[in-house]
Amino acid sequence: MSERWEVTPRYPGPLTTIGEVWRYKRLLGFIGDRALRKMYRRTVLGWLWLFINPLFPIALRAVIFGALLGVGSNGIPYFLFLLAGTVVWDVFAASLMWGTRSLEMHCDLSDQIYHPRAILPFGNMMPALLNVALKIGVLVLAVIFYTARDGRLYLRADVALFWALAALALAFLFALAISFFTAIWGEMTRDIRFALSQLLSVWYLLTPVLYPLSQVPEAHRGWMLLNPLAIIVETFKWGLFGIGQFYPDALAVTALAVTGLLVAGLIYFSRSEARTIAQR
Amino acid sequence: MSDGAPWVIASDTREGFAARIREMWQYRRILGFFSLKAVQGLYAKTHLGIFWMFVRALVPLFVGSFVFDTVMNVPSGVVPYFVFFIAGQIPWNCFDGPLIRGSRGLEVNRMLLTKLYVPRIILPLGQMAAGMIEPAVIVLVFAGALVYYRTTDGLWYVQASPRLFASAASIGVILFFAFSLTLWTSVWQARARDARFALRFVVGFWLYFTPVIYPMSVVPPNIRWLMYLNPLTAPIETFRWGTLPTTEHSWPWFGYSVAITAGTFASGIWYFARTESATMDKI
Repeated sequence: MSERWEVTPRYPGPLTTIGEVWRYKRLLGFIGDRALRKMYRRTVLGWLWLFINPLFPIALRAVIFGALLGVGSNGIPYFLFLLAGTVVWDVFAASLMWGTRSLEMHCDLSDQIYHPRAILPFGNMMPALLNVALKIGVLVLAVIFYTARDGRLYLRADVALFWALAALALAFLFALAISFFTAIWGEMTRDIRFALSQLLSVWYLLTPVLYPLSQVPEAHRGWMLLNPLAIIVETFKWGLFGIGQFYPDALAVTALAVTGLLVAGLIYFSRSEARTIAQR
Repeated sequence: MSDGAPWVIASDTREGFAARIREMWQYRRILGFFSLKAVQGLYAKTHLGIFWMFVRALVPLFVGSFVFDTVMNVPSGVVPYFVFFIAGQIPWNCFDGPLIRGSRGLEVNRMLLTKLYVPRIILPLGQMAAGMIEPAVIVLVFAGALVYYRTTDGLWYVQASPRLFASAASIGVILFFAFSLTLWTSVWQARARDARFALRFVVGFWLYFTPVIYPMSVVPPNIRWLMYLNPLTAPIETFRWGTLPTTEHSWPWFGYSVAITAGTFASGIWYFARTESATMDKI
């Protein structure tokens, strides 16, 4: 009867984790719904807040930067240019913000029932994706409007559109990969949330959303291309409208880096989840 | 209790404007306590602490200056863009930070409010102190930038002149305007969290309506009055006029901003006092 029992957490590999998330995929909608409820509790308008913001700030920025300051837009209407950049930027930024808060928002759920923790960052991003879907709808309307007004098709109708989709997917996966780290840190300390929103507002300025990369002086363009988001945003606009430049090498490197970060994130996440949750 | 006399529960007596101010003065020592608490609470439980305040003030200044100057070529008159930009960021941050923090005044002290009496107006005011840290740091950066440009360009961009009083007055107006708005927003925020999202949303695009990142000279002259309708435009322009050589500025519109501020303050006190007891019930 003197058998020794040792209880140790098991560390699943990335593939196991993905498989488990896939089996529990029906939880995604539930978690997204829960995130919305938590974020907008004690408000009168509730989840409608998610849909209130999309258009107005973009229109305002278009007036200030496009009309007043005369920032270039590679020969298409500035509003369209800004809208496209904002869509792909928001896929990244909004997903990252929601994903980071996932563990913190659902820790009470994790206490009660079992579910793969790795599903939380993913599920928490659902509201962000809804918001982006709305913006994509606005983008489609804007393209139709400008096409009808100017009698010229701004949208590029060939296989390059595939690259625009790839850029969107890459932006999302990049946010997911970072979330695997930040969600864990966000549970441990409050710093990360402030730091992240601060970082994102600076990152936004350094990413060619408000301005085309071609407007950056030659001397600075090199280091600005080190920003993966710059590549992703430029690729999206190139694939959608055929403006700017396509950087196949840099895109390949970015895709590889995102894949690497995703694997590293999954491993880090599954190693830390047991510790983080036990510590709380 | 056999005489059957009716019981009357008197709520607060609403003694009016002067009484409110007098009460605030009586409780002024508490203001110091709440201000300190607000500043300490700002970065409590964070690991980076005070270091963080510098980082979050500095990095956006440098990056913003790079993007707006080097990439977008926003004009800035005779002074370097960096100096121009910071001279706009100081008054803007005196509005933005205190307003957002002050609006949480009632909300964050909810537990306290249910337990003891303090003049409620003290709470948003104390909370505003937390928003003053950032402009203070930016002033330091401004001083550093002036010294730097003294060594490279050989001249001080800020001259000691009586105009500096106009800058100080602008800061005063902006702070007072922020406080007056807080009287409205802190009540809304104590009642529904919507106010918080709405406020962040509004302040986020208010910046673009205000000549902070660009000078008034880029606005076509025939629509400049539209910009001046924004009560922050004139004080910020006056602040720049007071500190830097040659920028546009207008005393009549400054007077307009003062009038708007006074109106917001008077109506704010009235609204705050009128809704006070109802808000306390809902908290």
